[in-house]
Amino acid sequence: MSGYVDVSRVLAARRGPPAALLGMAILIASEASLFAAMIGTYLYLRFETPVWPPRGVPEPEWLVPTILVAVLALTSIPVQLAWRSVRAGRVARARLLLLGALVVQAGYFLWAVHDFADQIRRTPITENAYTSIYYTLLGADHAHVFVGLLFSVWLLLKLMRGLTLYRANVTQAITWYWHFVNLLTIVVLATILSARG
Amino acid sequence: MSLRTLGMLQWVGLLLGAVVWAAQHVVGSGITQADCGVGGAGWGISNDLWQATLTACAAGLVVLAGAAAVTVFARTRDAGFGDEPAEEAGDVRRARLHFFAAASIAANTIFLMIILLDGVASLYQLGCRQS
Amino acid sequence: MAVVAPPSREAAARVIRLEQVWKSRPGLLGWLTTTDHKRIGLLYFWTTLVSFAAGGAEALIMRTQLERPNNDVVSPSTYDQLFSMHGITMIFFFIIPMTTGAFGNYLLPLMIGARDMAFPRMNALSFWIFLASGIFIYTSLFMGSAPDAGWFNYVPLANATYNPGPAIDFYCLGIVFNGIASTLTAGQFIVTILTCRAPGMSLNRMPLFCYAFLAASFGLLFALPVLSADTIFLFLDRNVGTHFFDVAHGGSALLWQHLFWFFGHPEVYILIVPAFGIATEIIPAFTQRRMTAFPLVAIAELLVVFIGFGVWAHHMFATGIPTVTMIFFAAASAMVVIPSTIQVFAWCWTMVMGGGRFRTPLLFIAGFVFMFVTGGLTGIMFVAIPFDQQVTDTYFIVAHFHYIIFGAAVFPIFGGMYYWFPKVTGKLYFERPGQISFWVLFVGTNLLFFPMHVVGLLGMPRRVYTYSDGLGWAAYNLAETIGGFITAAGIVLLLGNLFVSYFRGAAAGPDPWHGPTLEWSTSSPPPEYNFAVVPKVSSAYANWDHADREEDRRRLESGVLVLDEGHLQPAVTPVDGDLSEVVEMPHGSPWPIVLALALSLVFAMLVLEKYGAAAIGGILCIAALAGWHWHEPEEATG
Repeated sequence: MSGYVDVSRVLAARRGPPAALLGMAILIASEASLFAAMIGTYLYLRFETPVWPPRGVPEPEWLVPTILVAVLALTSIPVQLAWRSVRAGRVARARLLLLGALVVQAGYFLWAVHDFADQIRRTPITENAYTSIYYTLLGADHAHVFVGLLFSVWLLLKLMRGLTLYRANVTQAITWYWHFVNLLTIVVLATILSARG
Repeated sequence: MSLRTLGMLQWVGLLLGAVVWAAQHVVGSGITQADCGVGGAGWGISNDLWQATLTACAAGLVVLAGAAAVTVFARTRDAGFGDEPAEEAGDVRRARLHFFAAASIAANTIFLMIILLDGVASLYQLGCRQS
Repeated sequence: MAVVAPPSREAAARVIRLEQVWKSRPGLLGWLTTTDHKRIGLLYFWTTLVSFAAGGAEALIMRTQLERPNNDVVSPSTYDQLFSMHGITMIFFFIIPMTTGAFGNYLLPLMIGARDMAFPRMNALSFWIFLASGIFIYTSLFMGSAPDAGWFNYVPLANATYNPGPAIDFYCLGIVFNGIASTLTAGQFIVTILTCRAPGMSLNRMPLFCYAFLAASFGLLFALPVLSADTIFLFLDRNVGTHFFDVAHGGSALLWQHLFWFFGHPEVYILIVPAFGIATEIIPAFTQRRMTAFPLVAIAELLVVFIGFGVWAHHMFATGIPTVTMIFFAAASAMVVIPSTIQVFAWCWTMVMGGGRFRTPLLFIAGFVFMFVTGGLTGIMFVAIPFDQQVTDTYFIVAHFHYIIFGAAVFPIFGGMYYWFPKVTGKLYFERPGQISFWVLFVGTNLLFFPMHVVGLLGMPRRVYTYSDGLGWAAYNLAETIGGFITAAGIVLLLGNLFVSYFRGAAAGPDPWHGPTLEWSTSSPPPEYNFAVVPKVSSAYANWDHADREEDRRRLESGVLVLDEGHLQPAVTPVDGDLSEVVEMPHGSPWPIVLALALSLVFAMLVLEKYGAAAIGGILCIAALAGWHWHEPEEATG
C-alpha cells in the first residue's frame, strides 16, 4: 500500500481538526504565555521606573523596524495560500509559495540579527533593567522567527518528495505557527516602541 | 430557536464571562500598578474612573453571558446532561448544550460576584495607600 | 474486554491479530523504546515513589532536627538545603508526575476509550526528560550544593551576590528542564482528551476524572512558561549580568515574586485538581451512584484552575504593595473557594445518599474530604489581609498547605493506588492491612500537621533550623515529629501491602468494584491495545451501560471498529465526539530517549557554564528531532 493516499479526499472527509494542528495550538499557547510574561515584565518595570528608557539609553528606532515587520507579517499571505494549495493537492504551487515566503522571512531574520548585534554592541544588555528586558524580549522574538525558518526548510524538504496526509497536516500546523510568529512580532514591536515619547 | 443559534449562545455563555473577568482583572490590577508605581504616577491616571468603568462594563457583559446561558438552559430542558443511563440519553447535541449551559450559569454567577466585589472595594480604597 | 461467553473463531482471530500488531519489543529495549501509555505510566509511578522517599527523608531529618530546642542534628546551611529540596522534590518530582504522569498516563486513554495518547512518542519523551531533570537537580545535592533559598527562591537571597556558587543555577535550570516535561504532558492530555475520545463520547459524556485532568493540563500549560521566564531572568542576572531583579539598576525584587506566584498559585490547584478527579471516580464506584450535580462538578474543576490564575498576589500581602492592588486578589481569592465547595458538597451528598461501602479507597477519600475542608478553612482565613499579614511566614501557613497538599493531594493518590491496583496488576490488595494503613496515616498526618497551626499562632517562624527553649513551642514540635514518624510508618505499611498483594493477592478479574468507567470493561491488566473494539459510549458512566458493552461484543463478532489492520485508533471532533477519521499511531521508538539525552547534555553544559558545548547539544537536539520525524507513520506500513 502506498503512503500517498488521496490527500484531498481525506482532508475533505475529515470533520474535526487533526491532532497535529491542536498540538501546534498547544505550542502557540505555551509560547504566547512566555511572551505574555515578558511583556508583563516590561510593563511592570516601566511602571516602577521614573524615566523610560533610562538616561543614557537611546530610544528604539521605529521606521525601519516597522516597515520590515510589516513585510514579515505579509508573508502570512503566501504561507496561508501554500496551505490552501496543499489542501487542493497542488504541491508544486505550495512549494513555490513557501519558498517565496521563506526568502522574505530569512531576509527579515538576517536584518534582525544584524540590527540586534549592532544595538547590543553600542548599548550592552548589562546596562540596566530596561536593556535587560529589551534585549531579552527582542531576542526571544527573533529566536522564534528562526525556529519558523527551520520548520519551513524542513517542510520544503519533505514536500520535495511528494504529498502525504502527514505532510498536509504538518503544512497546516506550520501555517498556524507563522501566523502566530508574525502577530507576535507586531505585538513585541508595539511594546518596544511604546517607550518612545 | 435553531440548534445553530443555541450552539452559538452556548459558547457565548461559557466563554464570554471568563474572558471578560480575566480582562477586567488584568487591566484593573494593572491600572493600580501603573497609578501607584513610580513610573506611572505622573501619567494622571484616575484609578477611580477606570475601575468604575471597567466594573460596569465587565459586570454588564457577564450578565449578558449569563442571560445567554439561561436561554440555552431553558430551551434544552428536554435533554439530559449526559450522565443519565444510556437508555434515558436524549439527543447528543441538545444534551451537550444543556450541560454547558448549566455549567455557564454557575460560572457567570461567580464571575459577577468577583467583579462586583473588587470593583466596589477598589472604589472604597484610598489612593495608593500601603496596607 | 470482559468476555462472558466464549467468542467466535472470527472474533478470536481479530483479537490475535491485534495482539500481534500491538506487541512491544521484549526486554529492557522494549521499556527504553516504549510508547505505550500504560508502560510510561508505570515508569512514572516507580520513579515518583523514589522521589517521594527522597522528599520524605528530607522531611524526617528536618523533623528530627526540630524535635527539641537548640538541636544540632544538622547545620543551618544543611537545613536550608533540606527544606528547599523537600519542597522542590515533593511538588515537581512527586505530586505532579505521580498524578499526571502515573495516574493520568495510565488511565486517561482507558477512560476515554482510546488505544493510546494522541502523541505516543512525545509521551515517552516527557518521561525521559522528567527522569533526567530529577537526576539533574539531585546532582546538586550530592555535590553539597543543593538549592537553599526555599522552593520559591526569592531574590535577593537567590541572586549572585548573596548566593554565589551553583546551587541556584541548578534550581533555575532544573525548573526549566522539568517544566519542559510537564508542558509536553499537559499538551498531550489536552489534545488526547479533545481528539481521541471514543465516538459518541461528547464532552458532556466524558468522565469527571478527565475534566480534572483537562483542568490541570490547562493550568500547567499557561503557568509553566511564566515560571520559565522568571527562572531564565534569574539565570541571566546571575550569569550574564542583567538587572531584572537588581533594584540599584532599575530592576525589581518584587518582580520575581509576581512572576513566581503567577505560576505558583495555579500550581497548587494543579496539585490538587487531579486528586479531585481521583476522588470523583472512587465515590461513584463505592456508592454505586452517579455524582450529584454532574455539570457543576465538571465546571468546578475547570473554574478552580481558571480563577486560580487570578489570585497570585495573595502570597504577597505582606510585601507592601498598595491596598488597591491587593483588593483584586483578595476578591478573587474569596470567590475561588466556591467551585471547591460545590465539589465538596457534591462528594458528601453522593456519599451520604449512596451509602458508601467504606473499603480502603473510599476511606482515603473520606480522610481527604476531612483534611481538605480543614485546610480550606484556614486558606479562606488568609483572604483577610490583616490576618494574613500576621501569620505570613509562620508555621500556620505550613500547617495550611500541608493539610491541603498531603490531605487533598496525597490521600487521594493513596486511595487511587488501592482503587486501581486490581486493574493494573490483576490482583486484589489485602483489605484489612489497607484499612489499617489508612488509620495509621490519618492519625500520623493529623498529629504531624495540626499542632503546626497552634505553634504558628504562637509565633514560630517557618524555615528556622532550631528554636530557643522556653517559648512554649517544644511540646508541639515533639508531637509533630512523632506524627511524622507515624506517617512514615503508614506509608511503609501501605506500600508493603501493595507489594505483598502483587505476589500473593487473589485474582481480581476485570471489574472487582463494578466501576463506572471504561477501564473496568477491559481485562486486568489491560492488553496493549486496551480495547478489542472501540467502545460504544452513550453516557459518562459507560461501564454501567450494559447494553453498550453488549454492543461491543457484537461488534467484535462482526468486525466493526476493531481496527486491527495496523496501530489504528479513531479521531473525533473535539466537542461532540463525532468520528472524524482513523489514524495510524507510532509504536515503539528510540528517538524519545535519544532526544532526552541530547537535552540533558544542553542543561548539564549550561550549569557547568560551558556555553559552546551547550550550543552543540542544542544542535544535537535538532538532529534528534529530524531523525524522529524522518519516517512518517503511513510510510511505515507501505
